[in-house]
Amino acid sequence: MNAAKICDSEDLQYSDRFDKRTQPSDFREGGVGAFGYGRTVKPIVIQDQPRLGFFRTVWIAVDGIRYRLFRALVTVAVIAVAVAFLMNILSESFIKRAIARETRDRIARARLVHEWVARLTAPGDAEGTLRELAAGSREAAAEAARFGGFSDGEAAALREAAAMAVRALDYLNGLNYARRRRLVHATSGVDMLAYLATPEGGRAFFETLDRTAALRLPFPREDLQRLLAAWPDTRGRVDRILSGRRAAVARVAAARGARSVLEALAEADGPFGDEIRAAGFAFDADVAPAVAAQARRELDIRAVERGLDVRAVRQLVAQHFDALPGDVTVLQLWRFAEAPERAERMLAALRAAGESRAGLTAGRIAELAAHRREAAALERAARMTFDVGGGWMGLGERLGWLLMVSMLVCAIGISNAMLMTVTERFREIATLKCLGALDGFIMLMFVLESCLLGIVGGVAGAAMPWGDLAIGVGVAVAVGVALAAIAAVYPSFRAARLAPMEAMRVE
Amino acid sequence: MTLSAIQTGAPAPAAGAAERRVLIRTVGLKKSYVKKGVLTEALRGLDVEIYSGEFISVMGPSGSGKSTFFNMIGALDSPSQGRVFIDEVDVAQLTAEELAYLRCQKIGYIFQSYNLIQYMTALENVTTPMAFGGVMPDDARRRGMRILEIVGLKERWFHRPIEMSGGQQQRVAIARSLANNPSVLLCDEPTANLDLHTGQEILDILVRLNKEAKVTIICATHDHRMMNVCDRLMWVRDGRIERVARREDVKIEIGSIGGKRAPAPGGAPS
Repeated sequence: MNAAKICDSEDLQYSDRFDKRTQPSDFREGGVGAFGYGRTVKPIVIQDQPRLGFFRTVWIAVDGIRYRLFRALVTVAVIAVAVAFLMNILSESFIKRAIARETRDRIARARLVHEWVARLTAPGDAEGTLRELAAGSREAAAEAARFGGFSDGEAAALREAAAMAVRALDYLNGLNYARRRRLVHATSGVDMLAYLATPEGGRAFFETLDRTAALRLPFPREDLQRLLAAWPDTRGRVDRILSGRRAAVARVAAARGARSVLEALAEADGPFGDEIRAAGFAFDADVAPAVAAQARRELDIRAVERGLDVRAVRQLVAQHFDALPGDVTVLQLWRFAEAPERAERMLAALRAAGESRAGLTAGRIAELAAHRREAAALERAARMTFDVGGGWMGLGERLGWLLMVSMLVCAIGISNAMLMTVTERFREIATLKCLGALDGFIMLMFVLESCLLGIVGGVAGAAMPWGDLAIGVGVAVAVGVALAAIAAVYPSFRAARLAPMEAMRVE
Repeated sequence: MTLSAIQTGAPAPAAGAAERRVLIRTVGLKKSYVKKGVLTEALRGLDVEIYSGEFISVMGPSGSGKSTFFNMIGALDSPSQGRVFIDEVDVAQLTAEELAYLRCQKIGYIFQSYNLIQYMTALENVTTPMAFGGVMPDDARRRGMRILEIVGLKERWFHRPIEMSGGQQQRVAIARSLANNPSVLLCDEPTANLDLHTGQEILDILVRLNKEAKVTIICATHDHRMMNVCDRLMWVRDGRIERVARREDVKIEIGSIGGKRAPAPGGAPS
């Protein structure tokens, strides 16, 4: 009771005396008395403690590191190893990305002839046409305009509608079965848009959309409504393109006569190429030689592979590989043909069976074999790099995970080291706090210490043998520092929060 | 002194208490720890007034709560119950920044185990509190050298604690505690780890500080020489104040009880 009363009155007095604006004049060089004090004792005035300068803090941290060099070296080593690992993974990912790009490029180039075979034999479907238009290549647009006989305005409207239609189709295709079923019933493909364009279909669609909070269109609703309103026109234009293309396909078929498309394409750099262009296809004169060469190669490859049906060829290959003739595979056939003199023997056997093609020589067969091997390598590379560009930071799923786990382990390692440092230095922290250090200073001191170690460790790690990519070095050092700083936050927070005496008691 | 009327009054007020300000006052100070489910009561209600400019010794057996009491009045730890007023300011109501300021500028701490920063030289140890207090490095260095000179360590300013003897370390610690001209010095057994001669040197410095600079000194000790130099003595036992007495009174008692405490071996002021 009594105590409470005292405190109440004390509070009043406390607020009176507690004047932060009063500046103490304690520190004066020329003070009286041996210790620089005045003769009388001054009242205690309390104010906020100033903050210690950043550089002074850095200096104290560096001093501390110098004193505990061994512990610091251990931490540096942990960071260095982690950063080196990171560098390794980053370099690998850079290389893999380059390989992936190259592979996709070359595979796409090698498929040119297949693409043209497909285009020249079938008119395609509505969705494919829309997607082609939405992709926005100028040749495709010009070709479509030729087939459909569009005016410029019509072509532009169609292009715009195609882009929107593709977005809508992608959205609908991405939904799970139940939701898609609710929105568009049993329709699929372009028919979904046709269904939505009908009055009842559109109404049901938008009602369902409004009712279900989880469903949200990734594009403005007005765009979709505009697309649906113009759908009959769009569909009509697409159909015109398709019929135009069908006519062109028929014309090309007439031009090639009894030849297969591939055989005809082997002469694509000649009159047949002109025929294709005349039919309206966007068959560039400069891709024609490549297409022709690929077609010829394809024909040659087929001719050689027909050797599997020839008994004599099978026997040759089986003899070479010490296998039964019935077990000979295409791969063995091509490996057999890699050496020119064996290719010669094979060609002789093929000729004897009447299966050869004009212009097929032993050198050509060996060249084809080398090409086949290369194609197989490309295939493998494509399979190995299939996940590149996806996952975390474009590292690919597997590398991303590996990296994340390794960084976690590294951060825990650093955190542990710093925690030990903190525990070891409880007494020092307590003393500093007795001397008037702010929590922020203690925290900054430890984070700074960790950062400095991070810089050293990062540079050390990046300078390890595989660090030959400049960006990689930068990223790795930055990550090393960030990692160290993050790892040090908890230990330094613990250090800063200690009450001075609590820390002092811990031995 | 508005509050002196409410105060129940210490058993033995210091000489001339009427004119002297109360610098530190505790009201019903209690502190208990819970460790592994066992409740330990270190302080069971302490009411003390310490006047400005006095030299008070706190005595008591180990575990009597002396150190805990010190931590409370030094604003190093917070009481479980009760209040600590330093110059009529309630310590519990200060923010972290203000507490840091108080520890930095107004209170000097001297510990039994010196607690110097191991990786700093003597001078750096002394200037660190000044740096925290915002003194320019040049001023701090000059002043640090002067204080080191006073404690007799001017020639050893560049030595690290590990290169110094216990007495020298304690003198550095005293120099450090004086860095910002504190109003109060809290000494937790400052002579316990030192031999008789060195301990006497430290004591002399403390006495000089008290007499010449009017620094209030609160000193926990087992050292009976302290009794000869202090103004008042306070005995703590089981977390309570057993007795507070002026030095003159105690001297008489020593005579009468006899043998409980041997008289100081020389150097005692008559």
